[in-house]
Amino acid sequence: MLSYVIRRILAMIPTLLIISMLVFVIIQLPPGDYLESHIAELQSQGEAVDEKKIQFLREQYGLDKPMIEQYWLWLIGMLQGDFGYSFEYDLPVTEVVGDRLFLTVIISTATILFTWMIAFPIGIYSATHQYSWGDYGLSTLGFLGLATPNFLLALVMLYLANVYFGTSIGGLMDAQYIDAPWSVDKVLSILEHLWIPVIVIGTSGTAGMIRRLRANLLDELQKQYVTTGRAKGLPPGKLLRKYPLRIALNFFVADVGNLLPQVISGAEIVAVVMSLPTTGPLLLSALQSQDMYLAGSFLMFLALLTVFGVLVSDIALALLDPRIRLGGTVSK
Amino acid sequence: MQILRPGRLMRWLASLVWLLAVTPGGSLLAMQGLQETPSLQALVDAGDLPPVEERVPQDPQVVELSGDKVPGEHGGELRLLMGKQKDIRQMVIYGYARLVGYTPELEIEADLLKSYDVVDGRVFTLHLRKGHRWSDGHPFTSEDFRYYWEDIANNPDLSKGGPPRELLVDGQLPHVEFPDAHTVRYSWHAPNPYFLTALAGAVPLYIYKPAHYLRQFHPRYQSAEVIEELIAQEKRRNWMGVHVNRDRPYKATNPDLPTLQPWVNTTFPPSERFVFTRNPYYHRIDQNGRQLPYIDSVVIGIASSGLIPAKTGAGESDLQARYLRMDNYTFLKTTAKRNEFDVRLWQTAKGAHLALYPDLNTNDEVYRKLLRDVRFRRALSLAINRHEINQVVYFGLVQESNNTVLAESPLYQREDQYSWIDFDLQQANRLLDELGLTEVDDRGVRLLPDGRPLEIVVQTAGESTEQTDVLELIHDSWLRAGIKLYSIPSTREVFRNRIFSGDAVMSIWTGLENAIPTAENSPLELAPTSKYQYQWPKWGSYYESGGQSGEEPDLPAVLELLELIDAWSHTETHEQRVEIWRRMLKINREQMFTIGIVNHVPHPVVVSNFLRNVPQAGFYDIAPGAYFGIYKPDTFWFKEERR
Repeated sequence: MLSYVIRRILAMIPTLLIISMLVFVIIQLPPGDYLESHIAELQSQGEAVDEKKIQFLREQYGLDKPMIEQYWLWLIGMLQGDFGYSFEYDLPVTEVVGDRLFLTVIISTATILFTWMIAFPIGIYSATHQYSWGDYGLSTLGFLGLATPNFLLALVMLYLANVYFGTSIGGLMDAQYIDAPWSVDKVLSILEHLWIPVIVIGTSGTAGMIRRLRANLLDELQKQYVTTGRAKGLPPGKLLRKYPLRIALNFFVADVGNLLPQVISGAEIVAVVMSLPTTGPLLLSALQSQDMYLAGSFLMFLALLTVFGVLVSDIALALLDPRIRLGGTVSK
Repeated sequence: MQILRPGRLMRWLASLVWLLAVTPGGSLLAMQGLQETPSLQALVDAGDLPPVEERVPQDPQVVELSGDKVPGEHGGELRLLMGKQKDIRQMVIYGYARLVGYTPELEIEADLLKSYDVVDGRVFTLHLRKGHRWSDGHPFTSEDFRYYWEDIANNPDLSKGGPPRELLVDGQLPHVEFPDAHTVRYSWHAPNPYFLTALAGAVPLYIYKPAHYLRQFHPRYQSAEVIEELIAQEKRRNWMGVHVNRDRPYKATNPDLPTLQPWVNTTFPPSERFVFTRNPYYHRIDQNGRQLPYIDSVVIGIASSGLIPAKTGAGESDLQARYLRMDNYTFLKTTAKRNEFDVRLWQTAKGAHLALYPDLNTNDEVYRKLLRDVRFRRALSLAINRHEINQVVYFGLVQESNNTVLAESPLYQREDQYSWIDFDLQQANRLLDELGLTEVDDRGVRLLPDGRPLEIVVQTAGESTEQTDVLELIHDSWLRAGIKLYSIPSTREVFRNRIFSGDAVMSIWTGLENAIPTAENSPLELAPTSKYQYQWPKWGSYYESGGQSGEEPDLPAVLELLELIDAWSHTETHEQRVEIWRRMLKINREQMFTIGIVNHVPHPVVVSNFLRNVPQAGFYDIAPGAYFGIYKPDTFWFKEERR
């Protein structure tokens, strides 16, 4: 087990290296650089651009250097904990991302909890009551959630919340609490705004989760050990919890790998539509304006979390499910 | 509140009596009758801030509010919405405190300056206000101009290519003197008509910098160790990075940088909410002796730009035009009553809301030859049904027009707007036949001399469906003249690079930036002077780089335009400039270098019902109006409920 973990960790190094190269190249692929998109933006608003000044900035930002050198400096910097400089914000990347990370984690955690709380009971119910009215009804509801475009739902809910509850549109708190120290009122204001993104992001996730749990559970429920258990007179609830449900939860643990980056990145589209102060819109605008170190470092961070999350979920699965653990040794 | 009323009235009456007694000695009166700003009273009482008499210059600029504009009272918080953090630079535009600035009538008058003298259009003497101070209380003197000229503009590290182009005449530097603390003189060997307009621009030329603050980051005044430390601390490549990052008056991202604007940023980025508070040393007062601005603070909320119309409709902004579009108008109107705001329609000041740019420098030889023929360009214009576009896309609210100056400009002439824009397929077809494009294929599309069908690909920046809608309509009418149109949307960068490289045959973009110019504004936009002019990017690049890149213009009409630009740069009188402007407009009109479609497109402006002094109608454009700038947002004030 230990050597397995060590090997996995060592394998992460070349993986991340390749990802870093890919990220850098892809960000650089569109024509031009940050300054060119900056000029384009100024021009489109009728603001004059001084070519001399742009040249000066290009040197200051190091954009005049060859790409290989830029990549190398970025890589070396990251190893030392320096994630580079955001041109758009004129600040080090860590400062730009810093504040937003916390709020992103709040939203994502709340959303994940919301998804679980809804999806779990419904998934179990529709698996145990397959093809009943309840199953059909709840599945329809789930599919509706999956099929409704998130951004549309977001806009509708923002409007309704504004008209009926007087909640300010977009954002995660009322304007006066932004940058203010934490207080009870601020937390209340966040709670007042939090439920909309949680529901909007949650609905689509919920439907997916219900379907997966239902399918996994149905697979198990057909198996003979369940019949045996039932024949032996185990109460249905205990039977369900003790055997098939546990096995059906494997996919859940395997999901942890995706969960970690999700918690950090937030749902980008919904966050943009709802103007949430999370990292999603930040990443999007950084990619649009070719603010390459901000975008690059952020993507690297996500990649690191994904790789790490997959490792964690693999280890957890091995620990939880003897079949996986034993199967691993048999094949060796 | 009720009890206070009569007192305030009495005070007002008293100052009115004063006014009658002492006029025309306006500034003297102002000194006598200055009133302390309520929100600053506590600071003054505590001794943290000098009283108002010592804060305003000895001879402040007295803004006489009359007509629709009424003198107001201090207080309140103005909420604005912006799409991204970088947009806080709009406050520098809205604030519009410039050395000299435009009035709503588009005349240039002294603003930060007490006055200025011009001799022969080449010697400019600027007189500063005595006792004028930066927002941190440090005097604003000719030393600040000297610092800019000697330590920034002529510092080889900070300004590699030397001072900016507006400060050069025929490539030669001015002679700059600082006779005393309140006088600055720029003299050139020949007239420099660009100087004052550059100072008055919405994006101004800063020829002054807060020397007392910036000096600490300049190696001439600061020890090498301190600078080294700053470079290391901020991870810069050199000292210029440290200096430049502090010295960005236009970006307003450094709250430590002293300013002369009405409101001063107090929030360090990054943030979702920026608070600008009043500059206690601001140089303007009203006729009642109240120091401007009336409004205590401006709070800018950052929200994603797509959500701004919705937020504005929900009453979350007191003054909003940015990120609103004409198609938001009906939505805003329906929520206006509930959320207590007014939706006004202002005008945009672009020569054309949309214009087609035939690329005279395109790489394709056959098309280039065709596009350079004026008959072809005229035929293209005649084959556009502008009336239909106006009715279908703009509800008939806009004007069909060439890409030229608007009727509000003193340089406007009717034929500039209307020649060659009638929908006349017969004439268009005749012109095209004359060009020898008589063969057609089975679709009815004319064939080029080399046998290819006449298919024009129009590049669009693809940001709105509006452009593609208009192009679709043009497509239909052009087809009846035997021309097939395709449009390619791409991102702005790709769009521009295709044009610069000559891969584009035609593109669609907005028209003249400043379409309500006076003769004193430079006519550079009418001749190939910049690569951003999409009808002749390579010629523009040639001019811009002094012949280093691009191609040399060879079309006679274009050469004449360039000669006229040169002539304008050396004019001394108003009449000469008018003459040249008219001539250049005429050439552009006759040659149809750009094919304007519509202009005078209204722009919705949302104004809170509690906000006073915002004009009912106006121009919403960056040049020359600086958006709200020329209407002096420092004179806007809130009714009692919001103070």
